[in-house]
Amino acid sequence: MRAVAVPGPDLKEPTRVRTYPVVRALLRPVAHMLPHRALAAGSVLGLLLAAVPRLYERPDAELGVGLLRAAALAFALGAAFLLDDPARHITAAVPTGRAVRVGLRMALVAPLAVLWWTAALLLVPEAARPPVGAMTLEAAATLALALAAATAAVRFSGQSEPGLGAAGGLLAAAVAATLLPVPLGLLVPVADPGWDSAHQRWAAVLAGAVLVCAYCMREAVRPNASRAALTSPSGTSGPPRR
Amino acid sequence: MFPTVSASGLTLRYGGTPALDDVSLRLEEGVTGLLGPNGAGKTTLLRVLATAVPADRGVFTVLGHDPGTAAGRQNLRRELGYLPQTPGFHPDFTAFAFVDYVAILKEMTDRSARHREVSRVLQAVGLSDVRGKRIKRLSGGMRQRVALAAALVGDPGFLVLDEPTVGLDPQQRMRFRELVAEAGEGRTVLLSTHQTEDVAMLCRRVIVMSSGRIRFDGTPAELTARAAGRVWSSAERDPGARAGWRTGLGSFRNVGDPPEGAELLEPTLEDGYLFTLDGEPVREAAA
Repeated sequence: MRAVAVPGPDLKEPTRVRTYPVVRALLRPVAHMLPHRALAAGSVLGLLLAAVPRLYERPDAELGVGLLRAAALAFALGAAFLLDDPARHITAAVPTGRAVRVGLRMALVAPLAVLWWTAALLLVPEAARPPVGAMTLEAAATLALALAAATAAVRFSGQSEPGLGAAGGLLAAAVAATLLPVPLGLLVPVADPGWDSAHQRWAAVLAGAVLVCAYCMREAVRPNASRAALTSPSGTSGPPRR
Repeated sequence: MFPTVSASGLTLRYGGTPALDDVSLRLEEGVTGLLGPNGAGKTTLLRVLATAVPADRGVFTVLGHDPGTAAGRQNLRRELGYLPQTPGFHPDFTAFAFVDYVAILKEMTDRSARHREVSRVLQAVGLSDVRGKRIKRLSGGMRQRVALAAALVGDPGFLVLDEPTVGLDPQQRMRFRELVAEAGEGRTVLLSTHQTEDVAMLCRRVIVMSSGRIRFDGTPAELTARAAGRVWSSAERDPGARAGWRTGLGSFRNVGDPPEGAELLEPTLEDGYLFTLDGEPVREAAA
């Protein structure tokens, strides 16, 4: 017969299981379950877009900016499927939290994203290459927006496959960005005097998206309203008052 | 003896609709069946107790752990097995790899010990022969058993099963009943189902829910007894019956308030369940 646990001090402190061995053991299965097709499609399409200036005899930086933005959007659309997990419901109540699982997926894709972006930048001929720092900021913000949309969908709707909705939301945001009035514009030309201030806004977008991601990766805990109510009517068999 | 689960005043609303309305219950070792119509709140109650969703109000502990704190919830989950209504799998995983993945999420980090445990649960659910087969190649019944194996891995003290026999053929259901009965030995199992036969055959206690509230909490025999003297046979459908249908024998089985001199029949659990939902006064869960 199983011994039934007696309510104890573990309500204050969890039994410590180090996260590192769990993460190490999860590497292989999580790498296996990543949305390889969506990531590959976004990456390949993005690289093709980044390579387009090579078809021009004299490409300029404006062409490079537009195509690098499109490439970053393509990659982010693929990454929007990163959190798709058909087994989300069956793993909804395991001790390894959502933050670890989502964080691991992001960590696995991060090196790929860095390599991919480096390749995309190198594909743009030097004459057409816009400021690398600013474009990297834009690409990072676009990717973070995609991941924020996916993590928010997981947190607030419990969807197991939020990718399609997140990708749709990202596309809508991209369209909306083209409609922003000049003082708030994000997609400004490289020669525009508002280039620097636009990138301050890009930095704000990135920070906001990262905050949304961080918030939505956590699982909601609602404290018990009144633990005293758990005491049995007789007061002899229920958990003690805490 | 401490109850495995002790809950008081659990309330959860989706929009303005109460999915759980002041639910209180205690669960101890053995299989408890949870019956109710669609939308009764069964799945919501299971999800709350499995910590998949927090309640708006109310308190509960499972095996002494308080899910109202991050630490308590984590400790609770270490002793929990959960089979949701729509489990969902990674179709390219093999049965072994999938259960192994769940075992890792249950913090089993010692590879050889974990693999032994995964082999044990796959054997327990009768899937040893297909452990290397991809889940997308398995039948619906086998997939349900993979999900049960995932719930059983780590030998949890509290097992939450949400309609595990949906979509299974009679043979598969019988096999599943065996597995759940075995799982109920030495642990607490809460089984949500639409199948009154499952409850009659498996459970030593049954809870009936409707509109987010508990309408009955007792033994299957007590639930069946609610229809005692209210089921009768006649040659034609009795117009005074609440329900009536022609049986395979040609006579009508009527349920309701029988006329004088009616030929009474032995009620079933389903008859008792129908009477409980049909205008009976609400009886709160046993404290």
